[in-house]
Amino acid sequence: MTDNGTILSIQNLSTFFDTEQGTAKAVQNVSFDIKKGQTLALVGESGCGKSVTALSIMRLIPSPPGRIASGKIFFKSRDILEFSERQMRRIRGNKIAMIFQEPMTSLNPVYTIGSQIVEAISLHQKKSYQQAWQMAQEMLERVHIPDPDRRMVEYPHLLSGGMRQRVMIAMAISCRPSLLIADEPTTALDVTIQAQILDLLDELQKSENMSVLLITHDLGIVAQRADNVAVMYASKIVEQCPCGELFNNPLHPYTKGLLNSLPQLGTRQNRLNTIAGNVPEPLDFPSGCKFHPRCPVGCNDKKCHTEEPALKQVSANHYAACWYAEK
Amino acid sequence: MKKLELKIDNKNWGTSYGQLVWQQLTKNRTNLVCLWFIIVLFTTAVFAPLIANDKPFVVRMASTGSPQVEGKVYFPLFGALTANDYSVFLAAIVGAILLFSLRRNSRKVDPFLRPAVLWRQISICTVILFLGIILLQIFIPRKLDATDYRAMLAGGKATDAVFPLVPYGYGRTDIKVCQRPPNRNHWLGTDDVGSDVLCRLIHGTRISLSVGFVAVGISGIVGIIFGAIMGYFGGKIDFLGMRLVEIMMSVPTFFLIITIVAFFPRSLFNIMVIIGITSWTDDARFIRAEFLKLRNQDFVQAAVSLGLPLRSILFRHMLPNGMAPVLVSVTFGVAGAIFIESALSFLGFGVAPPTPSWGQMLSTGVSTTGEFLWWLSFFPGLAIFFTVTAYNLLGEGLRDAIDPKLRKAV
Repeated sequence: MTDNGTILSIQNLSTFFDTEQGTAKAVQNVSFDIKKGQTLALVGESGCGKSVTALSIMRLIPSPPGRIASGKIFFKSRDILEFSERQMRRIRGNKIAMIFQEPMTSLNPVYTIGSQIVEAISLHQKKSYQQAWQMAQEMLERVHIPDPDRRMVEYPHLLSGGMRQRVMIAMAISCRPSLLIADEPTTALDVTIQAQILDLLDELQKSENMSVLLITHDLGIVAQRADNVAVMYASKIVEQCPCGELFNNPLHPYTKGLLNSLPQLGTRQNRLNTIAGNVPEPLDFPSGCKFHPRCPVGCNDKKCHTEEPALKQVSANHYAACWYAEK
Repeated sequence: MKKLELKIDNKNWGTSYGQLVWQQLTKNRTNLVCLWFIIVLFTTAVFAPLIANDKPFVVRMASTGSPQVEGKVYFPLFGALTANDYSVFLAAIVGAILLFSLRRNSRKVDPFLRPAVLWRQISICTVILFLGIILLQIFIPRKLDATDYRAMLAGGKATDAVFPLVPYGYGRTDIKVCQRPPNRNHWLGTDDVGSDVLCRLIHGTRISLSVGFVAVGISGIVGIIFGAIMGYFGGKIDFLGMRLVEIMMSVPTFFLIITIVAFFPRSLFNIMVIIGITSWTDDARFIRAEFLKLRNQDFVQAAVSLGLPLRSILFRHMLPNGMAPVLVSVTFGVAGAIFIESALSFLGFGVAPPTPSWGQMLSTGVSTTGEFLWWLSFFPGLAIFFTVTAYNLLGEGLRDAIDPKLRKAV
């Protein structure tokens, strides 16, 4: 299944949470591939299963209540779901690294920046302490932190949000991982810092030939940075295609709705378009196509109410899960 | 950490979290007073046999004695000290060196390496201590020096002698001076067998402090490990652990201790261990609560996603963040343990009589003749009061020093 260029291949991943109210199906039958050096953007509203997918790849789903119910996650052609915790520890941080959403709380408040990066480095690489310190300093320089010499001995609370996110990135890339999972890396930051951080990620990705799984709900970011896009809705991928294709020729009504609700430059609009309704709760998904209660196209179609469409190939690289997609 | 290098240069490594707390703590005058009081207590405890002893430091024999000892100088006190006393001195010196190296570390070793370097220093010190104690136990002869040097001095057998500050032994009985209120010779009076109260008080410091520290050390370690595991893993482990804690808590501790102490021989060690293993529940609950909170913090998730081993996540990343309530409860625990030991000794379940302890001394004030000899209860009571107060105030101060910093930092 996996060819040489593919770093990560997820097949039919399902992650469930057993709660007292029943089983919450947070992720169902999700499949995608990421090729070396490419960026896949995982887009969707809050609670659609993006972060759970990312945590599943890292095997960080808290268990119980969470469990990976089925599927396979091939990382460099090896199924990491079969790895022992020990093997997994060797992969985490070393081969697959993750950047978290909240830079303000992702650094340990009782240790200096330097010591935290050094810890990440010396964990996976045989380096003397001085070398690791030197490397950490270089890493801070690479993420454009001014005066890294001084910043090394400072505590996280002395740094701004953007700075801390840079430190997180420096930590994540310090072991030159082949896959970087960025879970909404810019959500907590303001727009100018966002751009800087994303440029930085781009730059690092090019120089390290790293693959990136970019999780976001910001379509603007997707348009600029991603090679491929997977749109998630209510625990499933509803559309998957190359980035340009998504914006030019969206097939799924949900994607259309998302693109429609973006404000357009140069046109006068009184109100922004929205998709009516809310994301369904994972415990209480609607029957048939999960989008049908909000769907402007299929809301009256009997088939949409009863049968759930599978992700089907519509054109060469374009997949969509909608009964109307082919028509 | 594959390779450990002690890096010593004058580079500025920044202030560590511990230093920040220390600065905050020593800013407050009350805390300083308490700290100094505890330091004085410790010194007293360690050097008790040098402060209060009926053997003189130096004695010169008079010419009236037999010709072979004539004019000779002896050091009876150092000969009379037991191997245990020397072990305590050694431990104190090693401990002091460790404290100083801690200061040095904080200036010269980078914060990340500090725990590792400290750990190495602790191991080295422990080895030195163990070897030293074994050697001392082997080579220091166990001998009994029953000579009454003051009688010798009075009888003209010795010309000069230099006595310690309180020239009485704690086990000395002297019916002639029993039950005297404080006077010039016995500053705090004597008890009903004629022992000097001040001397017994000084020697009692050892017992009370060691009970406090060892008991709290045991309960702290057990509590932290239990609490950390319960809080981190949650679920079934947490459930079972908490039920165990609840069972332990529902048992009235003091009566349990009395029962156990009644079964086992009266030894200080037993008391310390029993107090330790019955009072870990509070620490465990504090740590569990903190860890439950920290478990979902992003930096713990980030630490896991970096691939750190469990030990490092629990004790390096989570523990310093959740340590505040436990540190406070530990200082209260020291006071509590001293209290329990006093109460046990008061009831007659404590250390065996010739060994002095504060609680035991309290009880002698009323029991014998029906008469209340106030100085027998007042001074040990005062000592207990001040020690417990000092620890409690220090606990308060520590809580204040840790809390706002942590909240600001997160």
